Amino acid sequence: MKHLKSLNKKAQLINKAISPEEVEDVVAMQTVVGCTATTDPGWELDPFGGLGSLCQPMESDLYGCADACWWPAQVPDTMNTYPDWNKDVAKADEDWRKLDGIYEDGE
Amino acid sequence: MALNNNRTKGALLGASILALAGLGSLPALAADAQEIIRDRCLACHTESGDADNPSFSRISDLRKTPEGWQMTLNRMQHLRDLEISTEEKRTVIKYLSDHQGLAPEESAPFRYLLEQDTNRVEVGIDENVMQMCARCHSAARIGLQRRTEDEWQTLVDFHMAQFPGIELHAGSRDRPWYHLAHDETAVKLAEMYPLVTPEWNDWKKADKASLMGRWRVLGYIPAKGEFSAWMTAAKTGEDRYSLELEGNYADGAVIEGKGNATVFTGYEWRGTITIDSVKMRQVMAADKNGQMMDGRMFLAAEDEIGGELRAVKDTGDAQVVAVMPTYLKAGESAELVIVGQNLDGDIDLGDGVSVDKIIARSKDRIVVAATAAGDTGVNTVKVGSADSDVALNVYEQVARVDVTPVNAISRIGGNGGEMEKIRATYRAIGYSAGADGEPGTEDDVRLGYMPASWSIEPADEIAEHDKDHLYAGEITPAGMFIPGDAGPNPERKMSANNVGRLNVVATVDDGGNAVEGRGSMLVSVPDFVERVLD
Repeated sequence: MKHLKSLNKKAQLINKAISPEEVEDVVAMQTVVGCTATTDPGWELDPFGGLGSLCQPMESDLYGCADACWWPAQVPDTMNTYPDWNKDVAKADEDWRKLDGIYEDGE
Repeated sequence: MALNNNRTKGALLGASILALAGLGSLPALAADAQEIIRDRCLACHTESGDADNPSFSRISDLRKTPEGWQMTLNRMQHLRDLEISTEEKRTVIKYLSDHQGLAPEESAPFRYLLEQDTNRVEVGIDENVMQMCARCHSAARIGLQRRTEDEWQTLVDFHMAQFPGIELHAGSRDRPWYHLAHDETAVKLAEMYPLVTPEWNDWKKADKASLMGRWRVLGYIPAKGEFSAWMTAAKTGEDRYSLELEGNYADGAVIEGKGNATVFTGYEWRGTITIDSVKMRQVMAADKNGQMMDGRMFLAAEDEIGGELRAVKDTGDAQVVAVMPTYLKAGESAELVIVGQNLDGDIDLGDGVSVDKIIARSKDRIVVAATAAGDTGVNTVKVGSADSDVALNVYEQVARVDVTPVNAISRIGGNGGEMEKIRATYRAIGYSAGADGEPGTEDDVRLGYMPASWSIEPADEIAEHDKDHLYAGEITPAGMFIPGDAGPNPERKMSANNVGRLNVVATVDDGGNAVEGRGSMLVSVPDFVERVLD
């Protein structure tokens, strides 16, 4: 592996994390309340506490994550809980303005 | 910066339990709530025990906050097709909060979540809870629940069924996640947060103080400032009050409001009050004697925007409650506002501090011009024989400035989309160096909130390279951070969103000496799932 050179920023970041233990330390990093620390990749932050390894813009790959309920506390999971969340928005990267939030209660 | 919030839909949410405050009269009797549970819940749940003291399967194995019970009922409506009217729901939440709530000691470590004061990184979280629960939720959301071991394990099963991807996340897929969650974490949670506790048994039996009466209230409203006021709570029903608030901001401008409040579990104050045409929420906890309440008041429609709130009951005794500001620079003169109740007699601001002029005086508010000529130190503000533990900090130099919140998040929004921007509001706190003369050490003296000028800068080299400070948002002179517009930005590499990592910088002018403090601001993508409690 040491003869291989990482091509993109994400790979470079992973290489910089020297040991598996170090990776684990970074992954276990806490975030501000309301953020997810599920960082593979992350929603608010990547495993390294930055933004370099996130899907950006997020609209490009949003549904790939929503379908798989990757961050169900931040992105409605369309598998089980909110199947109709995005039914009128076929392409998030084009029609992102139509995407609304889930607002609990409603009283 | 107008206070009017920009997130009208949030009002439906953040409000939620708080909206319960003060609408109509409730059939508060336990019998009514039990009948509603029988009518609405027993299609799935079962009843056992005496008719007067029933036990409902699953329901009776939990204890939660009012907000927690509201979330439970919301989930039952959404996922289990519970049909229940708004009024019935309120009655059930009140009953369950009163009979299966959390004792004051149990909710105390996590009040920030109830107060929606979430711009913070939680500390001291059990590692297991962090990895299993707090990687999606706040740790406080878990810490504000009490369950039997069976119920904690059933909660794991619910997550497994509802969110099957949970086994595939990092931290799950490389270990026997279900076994660890169900057989270890849930068991540990039942030890940490059990259904039956001495604290709850004691609180159930304790006499609950009435919160009716006159309260001396101190608070802070972003972009408006600190205020002191009288708040009268008149009883309108069992644990229900109408509110009238009248007072002054520190600069003398009038603050007035009217609203309602409900008290849950004997101490959980939830108020709704309209001030300057803006609806605000109050979340406070009363002490056991019902003499003092502490918490937070925030915009109903934008719960990130708010400030501390404290209420001290008028008992007829003389008491000094606050001084604004809480500091005076040695060798200088300034105007101070002393807030209290039934204040009479001489004003004493401590050795070396003279009262040059009494600008205005009433029984509950005194405005003076004062000069600090003597030594630095922490003086007690005294008026006649009134009780006081209110400190006036006489200082020589601001040695350190902290920004609060230290860690904050905002979220891009607007730009024609459905999701509104999530803003954040900042304050600066000044410290003197203390006896050792070194700022940043334990003996630093907190002087108080200070006026500051505000700016942003990229958090590090990567943020600077990506020009986060140009795209991710801006901060107003009043310390309100407004994030950038939503949507892909073609100007940025790969059309990235206007996200970024910034430092928010406060600069306090201390007699011509600029002292800076920094906070971390993460400008992030929207949170599409807004819960009553994160």
